[in-house]
Amino acid sequence: MNNNEHNVKSNKEPRPPKACGWMAEFENEHDLLHAAEKVRDAGYTKTDAFTPFPVHGIDHALGIKPTILPFIVLCAGLTGLCTALLMQWWMNGVDYKYIISGKPFGITPASIPVSFELTILFSAFTSVLGMLALNGLPKFSNPVFTNAKFDRATNDRFFLYVDATDKYYNRESVKELLSSVHANSLDEVIEDSTPSELPRWILLGALLIVLAGLIPAAIVLNMRASFSDLPRWHVFFDMDFQPKKKPQQTTTIFKDGRTMRPQVPGTISRGQLDQQDPFYLGYDPLKVKTTSIDGEKQIYVSTGDSVANVSAISPAVQPPAGTPASGTPASGTPASGTPASGATPALPFLEKLPIEANEENIKLGKAKYEIYCSACHGYSGFGDGLVSKRAASLAQDTWTPPSSLHLDRIQKQPVGQIFHTISKGQGKMASYASSITPQERWSIVLYVRALQRSRNANIEDVPVDQRGSLTAPAPSQTK
Amino acid sequence: MASISSSYNPREIDNTEDMPGRRAPLITGNQTYTSVTEMVCRVAEDPQPRLWWILFGMASLTASMFLMLIGFLIYKGVGIWGNSSPVFWAWPIVNFVFWVGIGHAGTLISAILFLFRQNWRTSINRAAEAMTIFAVICAGIYPGIHVGRAWLAFWLLPYPSLNLWMWPQFRSPLLWDVFAVGTYASTSLVFWYMGMIPDLATYRDRSKSPFRRFIYGLLCLGWTGSSRHWLVYEKAYTLLAALAAPLVLSVHTVVSFDFAVSQLPGWHTTIFPPYFVAGAIFSGFAMVVTLLVPMRAIYKLENLITLRHLDNMNKIILATGSLVGLAYGTEFFMAWYSQNQYESFTFINRAFGPYWWAYWIMVTCNVISPQLFWFKWMRTNVVAMWIVSIFVNIGMWFERFVITVTSLSRDFLPSSWGYYRPTLFDGLMFFGSFGVFMTLFLLFCRYLPTIAISEVKGVMSASDHAGHLEAEVLAELQGKDPKHAGHAH
Repeated sequence: MNNNEHNVKSNKEPRPPKACGWMAEFENEHDLLHAAEKVRDAGYTKTDAFTPFPVHGIDHALGIKPTILPFIVLCAGLTGLCTALLMQWWMNGVDYKYIISGKPFGITPASIPVSFELTILFSAFTSVLGMLALNGLPKFSNPVFTNAKFDRATNDRFFLYVDATDKYYNRESVKELLSSVHANSLDEVIEDSTPSELPRWILLGALLIVLAGLIPAAIVLNMRASFSDLPRWHVFFDMDFQPKKKPQQTTTIFKDGRTMRPQVPGTISRGQLDQQDPFYLGYDPLKVKTTSIDGEKQIYVSTGDSVANVSAISPAVQPPAGTPASGTPASGTPASGTPASGATPALPFLEKLPIEANEENIKLGKAKYEIYCSACHGYSGFGDGLVSKRAASLAQDTWTPPSSLHLDRIQKQPVGQIFHTISKGQGKMASYASSITPQERWSIVLYVRALQRSRNANIEDVPVDQRGSLTAPAPSQTK
Repeated sequence: MASISSSYNPREIDNTEDMPGRRAPLITGNQTYTSVTEMVCRVAEDPQPRLWWILFGMASLTASMFLMLIGFLIYKGVGIWGNSSPVFWAWPIVNFVFWVGIGHAGTLISAILFLFRQNWRTSINRAAEAMTIFAVICAGIYPGIHVGRAWLAFWLLPYPSLNLWMWPQFRSPLLWDVFAVGTYASTSLVFWYMGMIPDLATYRDRSKSPFRRFIYGLLCLGWTGSSRHWLVYEKAYTLLAALAAPLVLSVHTVVSFDFAVSQLPGWHTTIFPPYFVAGAIFSGFAMVVTLLVPMRAIYKLENLITLRHLDNMNKIILATGSLVGLAYGTEFFMAWYSQNQYESFTFINRAFGPYWWAYWIMVTCNVISPQLFWFKWMRTNVVAMWIVSIFVNIGMWFERFVITVTSLSRDFLPSSWGYYRPTLFDGLMFFGSFGVFMTLFLLFCRYLPTIAISEVKGVMSASDHAGHLEAEVLAELQGKDPKHAGHAH
């Protein structure tokens, strides 16, 4: 080998060659067996034979004891079995239970395949590694390799060897014994003179390689133990980065630069079909029209042939809440309006009640009015409810007194707007949509209309057959 | 010596004759230990024939294409394959089972035939084991890249993950597969390697160049042929054979569980484990014949891999092919006998449905073609057996295709039926895996001992001196010292 030659040259004082024993060469295995028996019978135990294939009977002829390898392999197999069973019991029965069809955890018949495989795996590797260990392999330096004749030991020649460390070993007597067994040739085995220590450049090279090999591991360990502001370094993006836009991001695809797209006008969410129904809104959403000016949505209301600007907010049809109660122009006549800033939304409110004006609905409206509305607006609708009176007596300037329902502008409001006020609130008044159902709200509107009518009624409003029951029949009193 | 051993006349000695009481020689041409060494080592020592270079060029190009396609697959995703609802287990799994099946012959020859004292195995076991390793490598690639995110394939193993905080599901046949194929691949590898150690020492000792001597010296771990070493070595080999024999049978059993443990008609049957194992041995032996017939001709190994070896392998192909045919028949019988309408439909659909062509290719190649081996002329004609072995390879690929695709494409719900079509990538990647297989096998021929030299010599010895051993046994029975009896003989 190159290295050996190099070493021999570099080694200034090679050790004197030392004899290790005698080696006899034979033509075939039978001569070897006979010779081996002779050597054994002569009492030598530090003997060995080198053959190209396992010669049957040589163990007996040389007195070699059976190997303990099978027991080592048995132990390894049992270790593999126990490892597999413990692993499956702990991983699936204790540490991370998979609940599947109510099947039992831990050791089940389903554990058999993996247990079997690991038993084999452990045994097989122990067989090979145990064989190498028991044979002292790998061993690259061996005195027998010093003789070129020995190369045929793996080809077609059979060798018998008596080692010098045998307690009966005597150089001359062993030579004499081996000469008497019809050997092809007889050679003394000389110790391998190659220095046992590795040359320095190999050691340095190996050290450098090992150190270089530690660098990635050191970097990884350092990264695990330290903190960094930089984002993670991704070898594979997995699903962390996808060609898609997330909320609040910008885009160049749309003119307005937003990734979150607004709903198309008229879009109705699932379960909110009532948002399209005037019965629930108080106005007709189909008459609300939108256009876009400079990327900003503008809501326009179309009633008949006139158009009014409603608001500049979200295109979802939501009239702005919180418009001050005072200064609200009369609705229902948006065409006349030149809406000032903060103007009430001029929605296309319903002019006609969507419920029937019968006694049942009046009674329902009266009951609900007295529960929800009378506290502020008063039983007669003059804005003189108990809460209102109490607030007025406290004289706090944060209180906005409730409107009288008999004001002219409220009397002129379409029924839809009153419904809308109950639903959405107005000024200090909160929304009652969550407390009062649409049907009840319309009933309240009906009752409010009745209250207003009662303040402006004349005798013609009373049915003819009941006029007689009025206690004060003077016609001049009524108006 | 070389000139003697290479002069081969197939009709000179007919060692395919099996006469009771007479033992036909395992190897022909009056071989000696020297000539056997010479014949095997020459394969690696002489310059390779031109055909080797041509084949190696083609194979390595194909293998490179395969590796590039794998790279593209990882970049682009498994969508480049034809796998689509309802057939998500398509060619990747078909190819996996195909290659794993082929990978059964090697260890079967080295382990089970060893335990049965089938000495003829010695001439073919090394090449068959090498073929096994390479086939399992090809097999392992497919599930590895079929998992989608191939760089996370190590998640299959039970390791304490800091990302997942969970363990694999040990009740899943797919996990059993990881363990079975993993154990089989690693055990086959060490079995193969351990068997090669003495022969690598032979290569080392014949090496002329110091570099070659150094490399083979490292590989053979300093093997000397010491009898004390041989004793432990033989024990270890026996143990490995005893361990590998049930392992061989378990691997394809577990592979069949991937199908049989599911509830799909056509998969959910108890016949699958033996049926798959028989099919695996069948396909494996066919692949051994496919490889050895050209190999023995190219490297002039006809005296070592004789017609008797091929004859024996063809007998096994005939037996396992008939077993597979029996399994096909049994499946139909059970479909009828169970009176299960889904099962009946599945099998009628296999034979007469949209994939009828695949089914009948399978039956022709797997059941009918090996029946030719009833004739000795077919069993001992190298060209004929090579053609049949190719047919068997094709048939066994179609068997896995039929099982996988027909059952998946038409299951319980007709509304979710479909027809699977592979893409160009499916075809190229299957073809590419043959490139990997052939590249590795050609390199094996070029650099490693293709025949177990020491085992062949051991068998030569035993047959030459059978009388010697008989005398020893007789002497022992008569109470004499056996070694004296041996001397007398």
